[in-house]
Amino acid sequence: MITVSGLTKTFGNNAVLRSVDLHVDKGQSLVVIGGSGTGKSVLIKCIIGLITPDAGKIIIDGQDVTRSGHDNLLHRFGMLFQASALFDSLPVWENVCFRMLRSGQSRSDLRDLAAEKLRRVGLGPDVADKLPAELSGGMQKRVGLARAIAADPEIIFFDEPTAGLDPILASVINDLIREITTEMGATAITITHDMSSVHAIADQVAMIHDGVVQWHGNIGALDQTDDAHVRQFITGSAIGPIPTLR
Amino acid sequence: MIRLLAMIGAATLGGLAAVGRIALFTASTFRHLVTQPFYGREFGQALYQIGFLSLPVVGLTALFTGGALALQIYSGGARFSAEAVVPQIVAIGMVRELGPVLVGLMIAARVTSSIAAEIATMKVTEQIDALVTLSTHPMKYLTVPRVLAATLVMPALVGVGDIIGILGGYIVGTERLGFNAASYLQNTVDFLEQRDVVSSLVKGAVFGFIAALMGCYFGMKAGRGASGVGAATKGAVVAAAVLILVANLILTEAFFSI
Repeated sequence: MITVSGLTKTFGNNAVLRSVDLHVDKGQSLVVIGGSGTGKSVLIKCIIGLITPDAGKIIIDGQDVTRSGHDNLLHRFGMLFQASALFDSLPVWENVCFRMLRSGQSRSDLRDLAAEKLRRVGLGPDVADKLPAELSGGMQKRVGLARAIAADPEIIFFDEPTAGLDPILASVINDLIREITTEMGATAITITHDMSSVHAIADQVAMIHDGVVQWHGNIGALDQTDDAHVRQFITGSAIGPIPTLR
Repeated sequence: MIRLLAMIGAATLGGLAAVGRIALFTASTFRHLVTQPFYGREFGQALYQIGFLSLPVVGLTALFTGGALALQIYSGGARFSAEAVVPQIVAIGMVRELGPVLVGLMIAARVTSSIAAEIATMKVTEQIDALVTLSTHPMKYLTVPRVLAATLVMPALVGVGDIIGILGGYIVGTERLGFNAASYLQNTVDFLEQRDVVSSLVKGAVFGFIAALMGCYFGMKAGRGASGVGAATKGAVVAAAVLILVANLILTEAFFSI
């Protein structure tokens, strides 16, 4: 479904991605882990078309989007941003159905659809007319999730879905992501530091370190791997091959 | 000496690069203006925000400036016994110059800063990235409605500013300086030419275009974090104000060169 090969991206003198190779099958959930500043967000933004890579190929459903662009694929994507990225000036229901607002569907139908998607992520219809600023961080994250799934996308990207949430809410969001992607049969790519997210969401795990994929395997193999980088990351140890500032 | 030349060279190259980027942004705005889709709701909101909500500040600025202008012309004219020209000079001063320039600068302060801060905040909070992922081009959704609304509504604002400025001169002229009300108005109407009014409205449209375009450009190019939003807002207002004054000189030359 999604194949990334030799992906390279440099900002100034900083080679963030040096040659990343990844593959995700249709309906699979890949979680990309790695330390802060290792290029996880850059990778996901290259795949979705927000950043143009310097070199390499991104093939989505057989189409080389590094040549043809992403425009004709965007309707098949959904994305949950780290800070939700809800539009401040629009009420929640218009945020959720933003993509469909100009589709010709009536506003009352779209409002009903938004209410249904909000219910799916555990929010009541009373939230629909509120502005994003009136919601808590956890509720904003749920609205962001509702927006990501509103158009029933085939491919969903999750950028740090549990960042800034307490462990209980993080667990709820993880479970929602797993349930929804399974129920929709969507292909998912998630980037996170949160190992509880990894265990809850992933079929496959890839670790990025120093601009390349350091390790890639099934979730079941993650805890058994001998890779020192992965071991250090999942145990959170300050001692190991990944340099730390103390 | 070489260091000085290097600094001048770097500043020149930086300035030319900025001009190039703004030119490309302007071309992109025109390209998106003439292609579908057009976001009518956002355009309507921009008309309301830029036009209707700017009326108080435009009116107050013009009213007090017109009044002060009448006082200045009266006291200055008294030096060579030309106090009687107050109505004519207030009219020509407000309509040709002060109306469009002051309204343009007030719009740069009120609207350009607001547009730049809003779009820059959207950028740093990834809302612009979110627009892209939702199949919505940020230039079409954010830039085109604002630039078009400002370009269309500014002539109306300038017209209102011109009228209120003349009214300010009329109030001071009749209440403070002892002019006859009917003859003040008659002199104002008789002295203004169609060219004066047309130049005022054209200047308004150009200044509106510049004000909104600078807000959008600096907002879209904002750096990270709160400092990025602050720098974008400051840069947008300064660039809009300077470009409005430059455009004013060029348009004045175009309309009134002998």
